[in-house]
Amino acid sequence: MKPTAIKSPETSPAALDRILAAEEELLPSSGFLASVMERVQEEAAAPPPIPFPWKRAIPGILLATIVLGGGAVELVRLILSAMREISLAPPPLPAVAVRPISGVGWLLLALGASLLSWILSRRLAGRSGLL
Amino acid sequence: MSLNSTTATEDLADVERVLAGDAAAFAGIVRRWQSPLVNMAWRYCRDRGRAEELAQEAFLRAWRGLAQWRRESSFSTWLFALAANVFRSELKRFPAVNLPLEAAPEPSGPAFQHHALAEKSSQEAVRRAVLALPLRYREPVILFYFHEMDLAAAARTMRLPEGTLKARLSRARALLRRRFPQLEDEQEALEFSTATLERRPNIEAHRN
Repeated sequence: MKPTAIKSPETSPAALDRILAAEEELLPSSGFLASVMERVQEEAAAPPPIPFPWKRAIPGILLATIVLGGGAVELVRLILSAMREISLAPPPLPAVAVRPISGVGWLLLALGASLLSWILSRRLAGRSGLL
Repeated sequence: MSLNSTTATEDLADVERVLAGDAAAFAGIVRRWQSPLVNMAWRYCRDRGRAEELAQEAFLRAWRGLAQWRRESSFSTWLFALAANVFRSELKRFPAVNLPLEAAPEPSGPAFQHHALAEKSSQEAVRRAVLALPLRYREPVILFYFHEMDLAAAARTMRLPEGTLKARLSRARALLRRRFPQLEDEQEALEFSTATLERRPNIEAHRN
């Protein structure tokens, strides 16, 4: 069996229409027209806005455009040449990478020496009470 | 010649004069449209002083942008759309003090008050509740009833397709009906009590 939907009571659209459509007419105050016209006349009497001085600004704008444009072109050119150099000459590989087997002994020796020096330095620091 | 076409002709003539440099001709436009614009603004904020300020701002914007009115639509359509924009943006900057929809006062019961007063106060509660609607639903309600339930005119003012406006209006009405479920009964009760009161002198006369 289907449960019956409980519908909440609602206002009819007609009642809403009746209320919202029947709004009392509001009369503008007697001074409204005069006050609007006063502001309109103020605006009409105001001097027109000063036009932008294009004649004086154009040389400056042109110069700035040339300088900035030239700078941008130079920058792009620099980046491109740098990229070309990188792509043409592959970076030199470390000797270890070229001869891995022969370098392993030296690498291990260096690591051992580093470890030893680190342990010694810690012991010395411990004895002197620094750690 | 109908009243509307007379108004349109006068509007056009005044606009031409203003654009030709006669600022005083704008008074004709203000005189003809001050009442509709103040009433429209009133529906947006329900504050008389603010409504006049908003209407004045709308007229000033119209004055500044008169040259932008393309004669494709009527002057009133252009003016109402411009005014709606002004009211919307001004009320976004300084919103009218609105209650949330849930906090909008209930219409009081008619049985305990004078019927006319009760009717007025319950209707005012519903109208104030419109201002508590979310903006996207509030404006369609305001403009639809301002344009005397002319959907096309309201859609033109909002610059929205009629279908969109209709959907928003329907949602707004549903929200309002849910907020005031007792309104219909109350209206009927009020109408009944008014009718009874109106009949009473006749009943008294019959008795005598």
